[in-house]
Amino acid sequence: MELECCWKTEIIESAQCPNIMDDERELRFSLKRRLLEKCLECPRFGNDLEILARTEPSLSMVLRNLAAEYLDQKEQIHYMAGFLNSRNRELQFLHEIGIVLQTSMELDEVLSVAMTAITAGKGFGLNRAFLLLIDDEKRTLNGYLGVGPKTYQEAWQTWEEIGRDDFSLREMAKIFHDTKLSFEKAKFQDLLEQLTVPLDDQSHILNRALLNGKPMLVENAFNNPGVDPVLARILGVDTFLILPLISRKRRIGMIIADNFITGKQITGDDMESMEIFVFPAALAIERASLHERLQEEVEKLSKANSKLKEQQELIVKMEKMALVGKITSSIAHSIRNPLMIIGGFARSLQRKLDENDPKREYAESILYEARKLEDALTEVLGYADSLHPAMDVWDINELVENASREMRDEMAKQGVVCSLDLGINLPMVFIDYKQVAFCMRKIIGNAIEAMPEGGMIGISTRADDHDCLVLEIRDTSTTITASLQDYLSAPSFTTREQISALSVSLCKMILEKNCLSFHVERSTEGGTRYTIRLPLKKEETFHE
Amino acid sequence: MSKILVVDDESSIRLLYSEELADEGFEVVTAGTAAEAAERVAQEEFDLMILDIKLKNESGLDLLQKIIRERQNLPVILCSAFSCYKDDFSAWLADSYVVKSSNLQELKDEIRKVLAKKAQRQNLH
Repeated sequence: MELECCWKTEIIESAQCPNIMDDERELRFSLKRRLLEKCLECPRFGNDLEILARTEPSLSMVLRNLAAEYLDQKEQIHYMAGFLNSRNRELQFLHEIGIVLQTSMELDEVLSVAMTAITAGKGFGLNRAFLLLIDDEKRTLNGYLGVGPKTYQEAWQTWEEIGRDDFSLREMAKIFHDTKLSFEKAKFQDLLEQLTVPLDDQSHILNRALLNGKPMLVENAFNNPGVDPVLARILGVDTFLILPLISRKRRIGMIIADNFITGKQITGDDMESMEIFVFPAALAIERASLHERLQEEVEKLSKANSKLKEQQELIVKMEKMALVGKITSSIAHSIRNPLMIIGGFARSLQRKLDENDPKREYAESILYEARKLEDALTEVLGYADSLHPAMDVWDINELVENASREMRDEMAKQGVVCSLDLGINLPMVFIDYKQVAFCMRKIIGNAIEAMPEGGMIGISTRADDHDCLVLEIRDTSTTITASLQDYLSAPSFTTREQISALSVSLCKMILEKNCLSFHVERSTEGGTRYTIRLPLKKEETFHE
Repeated sequence: MSKILVVDDESSIRLLYSEELADEGFEVVTAGTAAEAAERVAQEEFDLMILDIKLKNESGLDLLQKIIRERQNLPVILCSAFSCYKDDFSAWLADSYVVKSSNLQELKDEIRKVLAKKAQRQNLH
């Protein structure tokens, strides 16, 4: 009996078996291995079994059956190994995503990972993905982010780039987050705006998927009565996958994914794999959005805290100023009575003494100095009064009328004519009446002083475009008072000036503390214009 | 001749007012305390009272309330070194408010105005 195969020979030469490759030389020396790995599949072995069947039919049949069973088992093991390998790769991928999702707190970073995982070839490899998030206040599901190519050309270009650079999924997500996220958001903006569904529309397929909480593969979308034709038109695909994002029974939103470019079929296996991925993704998105909201709240609280600190400092400062005001006022009042007596008797003496009496001159001097001291005292008391802030809503026209009336005698004495041009139906302003009136009197006083030969003072009020009223005081002065000169040359107020000059600079300081802007313009032809802007609404803080 | 009661705790001020107002043709009586003023008002008829707010250990505003309760027809001009009492509503009960000054012209003008008003009221009755 002449056999063709070498299955009975312990050691063979290379030429004896055509199935042994160069890198399998060791099989030449192991009959057992060679028999299982090569001979059972070799046609020459099959021929040998035919030959054997002539003399040993039952042995040949047993061998044939054993060989067939072995090969069958081998194939199954091979298939299982492939399956396990693919599952292993999938688990590794999910593990990688899971780590990134669990460690990241930034919403955009989480979204970048999730969307890259769905669309990258190393991930689930779908062409496009859209993220829709629930707006709890508006009770709508809104398109938030779209990822993927819009055209074939863009698709090939992107895939070519990805093919060139062998990035891991994590690296790809990072590149996407750093360089492409804002571009992708803008790219699909038109489509995302259309992807708005009211949550109350329970018949809508997206809401149904959300309620069901399970991934849903939508097929034949254009002719499917269960699919909103508008949604199919917006997406432009017949088949797409809906992946609801649900975290601890709370609905976050969903991802819609499709193969818009390749048209490749989405299988049940794809859907199954994604179901495992969707849960950690939903959890991460929820956590990141909560974190983002928390950050916003922390920021708000921190701002409120610093504002509170500013206010506290301001209150302390104001209290100090009020105390200074009280002390100043108390001292000034204790001076007023004796001053009145000195000045009053001097005046009485002056009146009663004969015109040629030399003592009359003394009385005049006493009276002159007493009057000067009284003027200074009035000014100090006016300033002290202005240090007690009392903000309230006032009619600016009433303030202007009162302040100009108080200055009427002084204006008349100097030959100054005052004209008022007050706006009609002006809204109320939120100011400290006393302080603004004090400043107005100071400004009018300065204008009178600048017009020793007489002149005109025009006072006007009007509404401005920017939530404020404008109070303007103009004079026709040809000279500049020392106080205005001080202000124009050094508009900032220093401690030295604060002590020595109760002037235009002081007005600026008082007005700016009340959040009122103050501006002085000197015309080249003569005349000065003082502009004060008064807010309509209550300001939260005072400027330093 | 109108009779005026001047109430001030400063004797020099009382003297000044007495001289200045006498020169204007008024009859002037003075009081240094609220009690003395109340006693005077109870005993005599006055056409007007000039009242200081800060009296020694007393408040002119308390006396003002007493006068308004007991002598409704007696006009009162508050005359104070403090301008801030203008905002005090109890000071609004007075017929006028003048801040003290060595120039008594404003006070004299107010006296005339208040007396004229009083005369007008009496004519109506």
